[in-house]
Amino acid sequence: MSVATRAPQTRAAETASVDSRHVTPGRRHSPTRRLKHAWSSTLWGTVSIIVFVCSVFPVYWMLNTSFKPNADVISPTPQWWPENFTLRNYVTVLFEPARPDRANFPSAFMMSLAVTGLTLLICLLFAFIGAIAVSRFKFRGRRQYIIALLVIQMIPGEALMFTIFGMVDSWRLLNTVIGLTIVYLAGVLPFTIWMLRGFVAGVPADLEEAAMIDGCTRTQAFWKVTFPLLAPGLISTGVFAFIQAWNEFLMALIIMQGPGAYTLPIWLRAFQQATQSTNWAAIMAGSTLLALPVVIFFLFVQGRMTGGLVAGAVKG
Amino acid sequence: MRKTGIVALGAIAALALAGCSGSAEGSSDGGSAEIRVWLVGTDTPDNAREYLTETFEKENPGSTLVIEEQQWNGLVDKYTTALSGSDSPDVVEIGNTQAAAFTSAGAFTDLTDKYEELGGDNLLQGFVEAGTYDGKIYAYPYYSGARVVFYTSQVFDGEVPETFDEYVDAGIAMKEAGTPSGIYAPGKDWYNMLPYVWENGGFVAEQGDDGTWKAGFSSEGGIAGLEQLQTVYESATAAPKDGDETNAQVPFCEGNVGFLSAPSWFMGSLTAAADADTPGCPDTFGSDATAFALPGKDGGAAAAFAGGSNIAVAANSAHQDLAYSALKIMLSPEYQKLLAANGMIPATSEAQDALPDDAVTAAAAAAAENARLTPAAPKWADVEASEVIKNSLVKIAQGGDVTEIAKNLDAQIEEILNS
Amino acid sequence: MTTTVSEARAEQPTPDRPRKHTRKKRLTPWMMLAPATIVLLVMTGYPLVKMAINSFQKYGKAQIFGAPPEWLGLKNYTDTLTDPTFWAVAGRSFTLMAVLVVATMSLGILIALLMMRVNGFFRLLISIGLLLAWAMPPVSSVVVWGWIVDTKYGLLNWVLNTVTGTTDWSGHSWLIDPLSFYAVLTVIITWMSVPFVAFTVYAGLTQVPDEVLEAAQLDGAGAVKRFGFIVLPYLRSILLITAVLQMIWDLRVFTQVYTLQGLGGISSQTDVFGTYIFHLGSSNLGAAGAVSFIMVAMMLVISIYYVRKTVKDEEI
Repeated sequence: MSVATRAPQTRAAETASVDSRHVTPGRRHSPTRRLKHAWSSTLWGTVSIIVFVCSVFPVYWMLNTSFKPNADVISPTPQWWPENFTLRNYVTVLFEPARPDRANFPSAFMMSLAVTGLTLLICLLFAFIGAIAVSRFKFRGRRQYIIALLVIQMIPGEALMFTIFGMVDSWRLLNTVIGLTIVYLAGVLPFTIWMLRGFVAGVPADLEEAAMIDGCTRTQAFWKVTFPLLAPGLISTGVFAFIQAWNEFLMALIIMQGPGAYTLPIWLRAFQQATQSTNWAAIMAGSTLLALPVVIFFLFVQGRMTGGLVAGAVKG
Repeated sequence: MRKTGIVALGAIAALALAGCSGSAEGSSDGGSAEIRVWLVGTDTPDNAREYLTETFEKENPGSTLVIEEQQWNGLVDKYTTALSGSDSPDVVEIGNTQAAAFTSAGAFTDLTDKYEELGGDNLLQGFVEAGTYDGKIYAYPYYSGARVVFYTSQVFDGEVPETFDEYVDAGIAMKEAGTPSGIYAPGKDWYNMLPYVWENGGFVAEQGDDGTWKAGFSSEGGIAGLEQLQTVYESATAAPKDGDETNAQVPFCEGNVGFLSAPSWFMGSLTAAADADTPGCPDTFGSDATAFALPGKDGGAAAAFAGGSNIAVAANSAHQDLAYSALKIMLSPEYQKLLAANGMIPATSEAQDALPDDAVTAAAAAAAENARLTPAAPKWADVEASEVIKNSLVKIAQGGDVTEIAKNLDAQIEEILNS
Repeated sequence: MTTTVSEARAEQPTPDRPRKHTRKKRLTPWMMLAPATIVLLVMTGYPLVKMAINSFQKYGKAQIFGAPPEWLGLKNYTDTLTDPTFWAVAGRSFTLMAVLVVATMSLGILIALLMMRVNGFFRLLISIGLLLAWAMPPVSSVVVWGWIVDTKYGLLNWVLNTVTGTTDWSGHSWLIDPLSFYAVLTVIITWMSVPFVAFTVYAGLTQVPDEVLEAAQLDGAGAVKRFGFIVLPYLRSILLITAVLQMIWDLRVFTQVYTLQGLGGISSQTDVFGTYIFHLGSSNLGAAGAVSFIMVAMMLVISIYYVRKTVKDEEI
């Protein structure tokens, strides 16, 4: 009984979105208090704006630079607004180097999308069943396994890359989406299992049992009751896998060798060098395009993610 | 579960395989295939790329040639993996200072017996040497780029200096007269530092009879050179102490630079249209820009660093014959003339008459006569990758004690070269 | 009323529940862990073993191309441990980690508290700012920041010149002095990592019961003390895990340092573990392996207490 009523609340708390909480009640009585209140909310409002400006400034500066002609960028006096607004940098980035011997944005974008998407999918699947195993079962070596997941994250990948290259090469998977995906899977799995484990533990096992009393099998109970409650967890875990795979540079550099197989971070670097590092405006436009998909993905999942993080972290 | 078991078995089998790949397969089939040529950076002009592809496909009907452009930054690591792999590129361009790292490791096919066929003594000998290891030629010259000193009479209207010391003095005089950089010398631009050491009698590194390497920045001449360089840093330049040579056209185009030492094709950057992606200044300070060869201590051309590249056939290339046929096209006079027309010093002397007939090219040709390379030590590329030279120069630019810095630098270089 | 952390903990699955341990039951969790474990064993385990072997060998470029390696015994380890450069790198890495963890955690907590205090509009503003900073790929953000502190055309020097009314800052290099380099690096990495901490802690705070927050009255005199005594216990496990993760990530930091080194400064004075191992890289894989193992060992000594504590915490 108590289980049934409590569950939705847990969920509500988990998905508590940005505007759930207003001014703490119980402080609107005496005039001095009200004055103090008004004063303090101005203060905190100001601080909020400062935080906002600090967070956003580099992003603004990147955008600002990317819409200026390069001649205006390399000038000792900065322009706070693109006075000679131009989309030329974006045109340069998107269309100009469209030739077979050089990397181009559209192909690198598709490559990044494919590798990131595949990594995300497989990683969530593997991490999900792995997380259930470590949080729903008691078995010998369980705690050691969990500790190992953390310790693995301490190993510096820079020292492993030549061996990993040799393996991927011997499987004839260089320059392929699958080859890079396998490498990325090993990179993101430890953290994602670790994180998802917290979410799974956060959903009471009693819930499943209650459902089983209602005639569900254990598997049915799991899919009908527990799985929906894990959605926020899967989303926030997915965000991490997404960022990792989207931004990774070093392994992509050695596994994806031909310009046709470049992912976006490699493309950005190649582009930077093809312009002899001097076309700052176009480089900023390239950076913007690299960041854009992540921002869109974030905005898409944002509401669920913030709530979802709690359960994972509280339990994790 | 059975399935996972099979996957696991497969993985283990693959592991076993991973341990023993990498032996040179070197099978030379005469059949048709696609071969991959790696060119680095944007230096090779487009018409040369087209010529290579078309000529190769004409000479080898049925086969195709694909050019894949690589980047200088991080090249050694990328080549270390790519050339050791099974899916190796067939022909690669490599910086002359990096070639030794791969010739000594056995990454390239031995092409000693093709020497005469590829041009013999007409080839740039310094670069042949850079591609030689243990008496065998693995990498052939591709092109060279001599460094010349650019200036505009709008900033420097004196006589072109005749000796190295006059050059330095003129730079200091310009700075005193109000030009921010009489000589543009950013701290990390170590290629342009080498003439100071060489002209003062110093050396970079030499191999003794017992095979060990000895670095020479702290030799008498080396220290004299670095001290002269420190004078330049302190009283002749306003370039960033930890900056490198990129973007040098910007201060030049602001009229802030007297002498600017750069590869001969840098003229293109100075005269790029104002609305180009990286604009130059064809109407102002770039309008009358010209160049002279850096003068030596006793007149003539100074010993300056010769930039440029070598080309080689990868030992792991599955199509050795086709790869060689591509390399041969790249060394043919027709191809090399296309490079020369772009202001690069061609690999074969036959192509030299295709060099453009202007002051900058004349200066480059003069400079090339006395140009030198970095030591042909197998581990030289590691010295560059460790950035010890750049780091020491930045310290000198900051006003550090030259003798002490030079001694430390030599110790670090020797440790790497002799390890 | 609301589900508190402690209540939720009481509802945790009870792995100790007496169960008939048939052979099949005991194998189930391992079967579920198999996909992830195989990926990790092949892609991390094998390279790790290889690295361990290499660390006892002279293993450089020639060996990568097939020359037989020469056994050195413990030489790579003794060389590393007696090399002052290594200790300088270790000192820098751990100092940087400590500074980053403190800066990131305290800023993150403060911003999370701020988000609790302000109204919906400001909370949204802060969320957007943090989200943008978080979504920026590391390569893009270092390039943008590097552009802001650029010696010749950077915004920072211009602003300082304008504020002080002088030209003292023209051509000031922010990266040439190691301390100044690290200041820039700290700002960049903190800027990038605060959002994760802030969102996680904020999400945790939304799970703290209202009465507790009211009792704590997080402004006015003694706020810090009340926060420490009343609210902090609710956040303990979140803060612990976040701090452990930050420690691991900050010690392994590579991309940001590597990219910033490309923009200026003296790399031998600014190397941390990641870039040091990378610079050893292909020329001396043996030494790189030895350094990696020593680094992981040091990291374990420092963090094992917290790692065990985090794992234990959720098994009460």
